Amino acid sequence: MEPFFHASPFTGYVYPNETIIPWTVLIVVYPYLTGLVAGAFTVSSLYQVFGFQRLKPVAHFALLVSLCCMVVVPIPLLLHLGHPERAFNAMITPHTTSAFAIFSYAAAFYVILLVLETWFVFRPHIVRQAQQRTGLLGWYYRILSLGSYDLSEKAMRYDRKWIFTLAIIGIPGAHGLHGYVGFVFGSLKSREWWSSDLMPAIFLFSAIISGTALLIVLYVISCKLRKVPVDVPCLKGMAYALWGFMMFTLLLEGVEFASLVYRGREGIDVIMEFVKGPLVVPFFILQFGVGSVLPICVLTFLIWRGTSGNTLVTAVALCAFLVLLAVLMMRWNVVIGGQEISKTGKGLLSYHPLIFGREGLLAAAMVLVTPLVLLLVMVRLFPPWDEDTTLATSAAGAR
Amino acid sequence: MEENELEQQDRRDFLSCLGSALACGAAAVAASALAPPATAATAATAGAKPPAIPGYDWSKHRWGYGVDATKCIGCLRCVEACKKENNVLGDAHHFRTWVERYVYLEGEETARIDSHADPVNIAASGSEGEYRFADRYKDAKVEKAFFVPKLCNHCTHPACVQVCPTGATYKTEDGVVVIDHTYCIGCQYCVQACPYGARYFDERRNVTDKCTWCYHRITKGLQPACVEVCPVGARIFGDLNDKQSPISQFVKNNQVQVLRRESGNAPNVFYVGIDKEVI
Amino acid sequence: MPRHIVRLVLLMVAIGAVGYVAKIFFTADSFYEYGHYRGKSVAEIASDKPKYKGSEYCESCHAERFAEWSKGVHNKSDIGKVVKCEVCHGAAGERDVRGMFEHLATGVDHPNKLKLVVPTDARKLCTLCHEKMPGRPAQQPQIVVASHAGTQQCTVCHNPHSPKLNLVSTAPTPIRGDAARGKAKAAACVGCHGAEGVSVNLPGPSLAGQNAAYFIAALKAYGTGARDNPMMSAFAKGASDDDAQDLAAYFAALKCQSSLTAEKQAAAAGRATASKCIACHGADGVSSNRAWPNLVGHSKDYLVAALRAYKSGSRKGNMMAGIVKTLSDAETENVAAYYAGASCK
Repeated sequence: MEPFFHASPFTGYVYPNETIIPWTVLIVVYPYLTGLVAGAFTVSSLYQVFGFQRLKPVAHFALLVSLCCMVVVPIPLLLHLGHPERAFNAMITPHTTSAFAIFSYAAAFYVILLVLETWFVFRPHIVRQAQQRTGLLGWYYRILSLGSYDLSEKAMRYDRKWIFTLAIIGIPGAHGLHGYVGFVFGSLKSREWWSSDLMPAIFLFSAIISGTALLIVLYVISCKLRKVPVDVPCLKGMAYALWGFMMFTLLLEGVEFASLVYRGREGIDVIMEFVKGPLVVPFFILQFGVGSVLPICVLTFLIWRGTSGNTLVTAVALCAFLVLLAVLMMRWNVVIGGQEISKTGKGLLSYHPLIFGREGLLAAAMVLVTPLVLLLVMVRLFPPWDEDTTLATSAAGAR
Repeated sequence: MEENELEQQDRRDFLSCLGSALACGAAAVAASALAPPATAATAATAGAKPPAIPGYDWSKHRWGYGVDATKCIGCLRCVEACKKENNVLGDAHHFRTWVERYVYLEGEETARIDSHADPVNIAASGSEGEYRFADRYKDAKVEKAFFVPKLCNHCTHPACVQVCPTGATYKTEDGVVVIDHTYCIGCQYCVQACPYGARYFDERRNVTDKCTWCYHRITKGLQPACVEVCPVGARIFGDLNDKQSPISQFVKNNQVQVLRRESGNAPNVFYVGIDKEVI
Repeated sequence: MPRHIVRLVLLMVAIGAVGYVAKIFFTADSFYEYGHYRGKSVAEIASDKPKYKGSEYCESCHAERFAEWSKGVHNKSDIGKVVKCEVCHGAAGERDVRGMFEHLATGVDHPNKLKLVVPTDARKLCTLCHEKMPGRPAQQPQIVVASHAGTQQCTVCHNPHSPKLNLVSTAPTPIRGDAARGKAKAAACVGCHGAEGVSVNLPGPSLAGQNAAYFIAALKAYGTGARDNPMMSAFAKGASDDDAQDLAAYFAALKCQSSLTAEKQAAAAGRATASKCIACHGADGVSSNRAWPNLVGHSKDYLVAALRAYKSGSRKGNMMAGIVKTLSDAETENVAAYYAGASCK
């Protein structure tokens, strides 16, 4: 029989009830996924709203990535709930003072927004498939088309405006959503490690870099799979964005940590003990060193030297991959780290994740892989690469 | 001219599109804001019919709890009684109430803290289901030592209730923070939010649980189980509305403190005889 | 407006409407009745059956024990120190647990099907409160277990329902007797208790070296009839308080003599059994409290007779009665041999 719970060893004094860490690796995955959503959407918006033409090759792909990640976001939460069958209680009777209750509405709203935008972008493709295909898939496209095959110039104009509008709403939407995840943690006064006004901002910027990094990696892989050359200006554009936002993220994290130490409120001794002890490998080496400083140095070097060609593609993809790991570590260090510092301010716990079970590492890994599998299906249903299947919709195009 | 008209048409359409899209988005958010009907706020205070508890009117009581740490002997009968009375999981990780021991050794500035859930004390009691403080400091020079019983503070501004997404935990009219176990989704956000570590997750029922001041007892005119069994009167419970009740007298006759005042939760468990190290 | 947009907007409105209807439909009844929660849950939570019932619940059947307890130190309600029945015996009620949910008012109570704990290991139970430990307030009676009772159970000496011992207070403390006067008065005792208080094969026990306070208390007990012996009662009734004091002083000052008749083997075997005695009577037969008798210097036969008297009830003594109950005949013999063999110092 699976053990009821898994108690964590501790040093110093911790409250007896604290010895079971409430939020496990699944709650690490949850902000990570919402971060990817927000980040990928940002890249898409850079093209759709702000007219960065060089990002065109990935703009629609980014939308699909964002959607695939977003529909998976509730899964880690549901897996973590003691009573997932009651999850709708939070939507039926949402408690307006609860960050979580509002999150369920914000997330639902955002899913609708993403679905709408994707629908409009791929409507020409949907209509064409509905007209050509037969069988089950034909029905699928016909239902999606809502029975209207109108691809006239007038209809297209309407669609562009919807896309533009949705993209505009989506920017504060996506960023608000993820900043809000930061608020879920930052608003808890019971934990010094989380209780910070900068938490939403840090979550947001780390989200943007994780989404951009994911797009870089997926774009490069998809080019290799499709055996088409990587669009170097596009890749460079994303690399610049990654570099810029990373600087910002590092700065914010630095400020946050500095102010935490400088304020030196109750329990700072234990926090310093934590930082110098258990945090060295996951934070200083993995998140900060390998995941942030190394990619920044490599990217700086690439930009400075004007590297191009295959070297650039490989190096940028590798950097992006490291950044993805760094952001995952950042989520880990925030979510798990916050719980490893006891509320007493006089003790440390150490979380040992289970491998199997509902809240084990395996479940978390499966949740992380799910969006990629979904994406594999989605790019077949809605090919984001072909010019003629989708609506050309940059800011310039809409005007 | 025609083009111009088309453009104007475009603009109007665009605006209406924007409007409808915004409206759709707003609708989802608004639904949450709409959620509590206008009656909710007023019903609680107005002369609504009180809950159907035989022989009890919650509007007549305001419960309060006192802890006199100068009297506590650390016998842990309260912990045992609480576990029994409330069917609490019988291990060292789930407590509705617990007792901490603060010991200042000679030459040390900070207290050494342990609770009965400490491995050393579990070893002394023989099992996790029995509770005993080991005499672990008998060979050391102790300058000062005392015991501090802990429990849910039933705060006036409970952080746990604030963060509950569903309304499964709430504060009753008579001042007790309780959990509706049939409505809790088990997200454990409240466990995180409580600065006192008073909440735990019940892995049998997959819901959060915590002290209710034995709501099923106090509404029948009994004392909470921990107060009932305390052999030295270190735990005091009563109605703050009644000026003669033990708790009113306790608060009136002592300089009482609360834990973590800075949290803004405004706890309703009043302490006497604790010092700076108590967290 | 193009058809697909009209349909989309209609679809979204429909979804919104369905969502709103679902919210209203699925909202638990009584939600929002008093606030943002299920109003009915308040009464549900309050409906649980209490398990702890209070000491009054026990009184109707256990009136005798209750009276004993309510007069004792474990019920000092004036200073708020009350050790209620259920603290040691456990809750008198039980609540059914159906599946994982509670809110049930059913369940068995003592005495119906619910047996309460009669604690057997008093050392473990009593020390929860009374073991000396930093942090316990000074006014809490505390003991260092090893030096207070050795391996003895608390209930040997203390009645858990009224644990305070009265022995010390009943013993006359100041010894104002005069040994020289006592020697003269002791002439009447020699016949049974031997010259110099050492009885060898005489009907009475040796008195040499006996604790004075105990001696006086024993004489008084004969006088009042609390101890029953026609010969001694006659003597005791004729003796004044001064006589008792003088005799006590005289005998206490004499040097006792070990009985040499004790068998070596039995004495060795008695050492283990003597662990039940040493808390009060010492390992060498010298009592830690002057109100209690020394055992050293007594003959084996006398000690066996005394223990049997306690066992049969012909000699009264709560504490001794409790102890002899646990002694087998062989143990009685052995422990008597052990103390009879103890050497006088």
